[in-house]
Amino acid sequence: MNKTLAALAFGAVFATLVPEASADRRVNGLSTDKAVRHRRLLVSKRFELSPLFESTINADFRHIVGGGAKLEYHFSDMFSFGFIGVGSTAINTGLVDKITPTLLSQSEKKALEGMGMMIREPSKEEFEQRLNSMPFHGAAYVSLTPWYGKLAAFSQAFVAFDFYFQGGISIATLESNCDKVNVCNDPSPGKPRNVGGMIMPPDLNPNNDDPVNNGTKIGLYIGGGIHVFVNDFIALDFSIRDYAFSDNPSGADVSGPNKGPDQAVDSQDSRLIHHLFFGAGVSIMFPTRVKRTP
Amino acid sequence: MKRLRMRAFHRSVVLFVVGLAFTAGSALAQPKKPAPAPKTPAPKKDDGEIDMSAPDPGEIDMSQPDPGNSPPGDLEKDMAAADKKNLAVKSGPIRKTPLSWEDIVVVVRKPFLKSHRTELYPYVGTTMNDNMIRHYTVGGELAYYLSDTLAVGVEGNYYIAGFREPFDLVARQARRLPTVNQYNWSAALNFHYVPVYGKFAILDKKLITWEIAFTAGIGAGQSEVIPRDTKFPGFTNFLIMPNVGANMRFFITKWLTINAGIRDYAFIDKFEPTNRAMGINDTAQAARDNADSAFINNVMFQIGISFWVPTSFEYTTFR
Repeated sequence: MNKTLAALAFGAVFATLVPEASADRRVNGLSTDKAVRHRRLLVSKRFELSPLFESTINADFRHIVGGGAKLEYHFSDMFSFGFIGVGSTAINTGLVDKITPTLLSQSEKKALEGMGMMIREPSKEEFEQRLNSMPFHGAAYVSLTPWYGKLAAFSQAFVAFDFYFQGGISIATLESNCDKVNVCNDPSPGKPRNVGGMIMPPDLNPNNDDPVNNGTKIGLYIGGGIHVFVNDFIALDFSIRDYAFSDNPSGADVSGPNKGPDQAVDSQDSRLIHHLFFGAGVSIMFPTRVKRTP
Repeated sequence: MKRLRMRAFHRSVVLFVVGLAFTAGSALAQPKKPAPAPKTPAPKKDDGEIDMSAPDPGEIDMSQPDPGNSPPGDLEKDMAAADKKNLAVKSGPIRKTPLSWEDIVVVVRKPFLKSHRTELYPYVGTTMNDNMIRHYTVGGELAYYLSDTLAVGVEGNYYIAGFREPFDLVARQARRLPTVNQYNWSAALNFHYVPVYGKFAILDKKLITWEIAFTAGIGAGQSEVIPRDTKFPGFTNFLIMPNVGANMRFFITKWLTINAGIRDYAFIDKFEPTNRAMGINDTAQAARDNADSAFINNVMFQIGISFWVPTSFEYTTFR
């Protein structure tokens, strides 16, 4: 009987101890630690100033190549806002270099037209001067940096990096320098003209129309890139940026009121074009001393 | 009397067994520990220091199954295992016990191994550097990894061509008919090298590992002249196409990755001669004989999903 009670008591005591015993499962001090301690806050609460280089990707008629700067404030590890401005020059693409030598000069074309020939193709001047350039472009944006990490290159170099995505408003100044006296001299493209008191029909020649592809444009901006930190306050910055705004880079007759060529160049020929740029820069973070998480 | 004692003894044994069963049942109800606790002597003081008196810390028991070597399954589960441990600990009272060498992982091993595995990589791609004609590709690559950083593979591409805006614009505006070729197919033998490996956190929540691979290869392909004037026949060219490229690979599961990268296929292509009329280069053979040659870089962006065989792997190093 005593043994029965003893066994019963032992079982009951053991059973009541079980939850406590199982709760005493083996843990250690690391279990309550953060996943990453003393993490360097490479961007949080810091200004980022980036001298940068930008070039268009796969431009149709003119490459836009230039330099500028990006100024950004990271008000947290993940969110920031900033501005970018780039001054650029324009370089003809291979397509333009192939077409131009095959065209007549303006004087040759005029001479042939003076002999009564109807020449529909543009002269070199008409073709080249209608192309526009982009002396300045920039954007104001907000930025999200959702990914950060570190990488090992050749098992030797260990660097921190982050990916960022940006969205905002783009601005660009476009410029075309068409000679309004000798080249782009149609006073009323696509409309009847008054010549010496006589109303003449439209000339249906888009080559002598004003290209209507200069001025300041406002549009959308999206971008994305990667920071590769070489130390606590300097990072390499590589990005792809899309400045999307209304443009007609070739100054050509693209679309009329009926969504087709109407043999006249006007504002309806401008359409939303994505100007895709590759950017490379060096980001300098201020203050240069980096903070760390606990 | 004896029988009673036997019954009493039997009853006590039953009660003891019931107690043990209850114990076991209660223990089973607790969250499972991912690894058996080492049999360390009771601590004399709980000061958080590493217990150097743990039994033979330098010796690793090879007979014990490696808890990290889970059966074929989800990479995400493996990577989240540490978090699960912490969650389980937080659900009950915590009592600190001495650390041992098992707790200290100096170098975290890769969550994905490629050595001696085969990658099947179907992908789609698009041209990045041609402003007259855009090619879309549907392709695939089969690569065998000799080690975790070196692989050899074969790829094949089928091309679908479409004209871009300048093709029509140049014809309409400048009265010039562009000379363009379309690509029909290509195949290559490639070698891959993976020099960059990293990991990143997404929104402070999820860890993703990734790597960058460089590729170089040699292959062949076919281009086809698109005649400016449809009265004249086009012709095809056989191309020798070396290629170089870089590719990013994001590890999703033990058998699935997402890849994205660029590839530059370089070759010498033959284009339709500019002087073509009745009696002049009007046959395909004559046009091919008098074709203009040019060195072409066809840069493609490619993105796809890789499937890995075998679907799992075993670590050859310790935790």
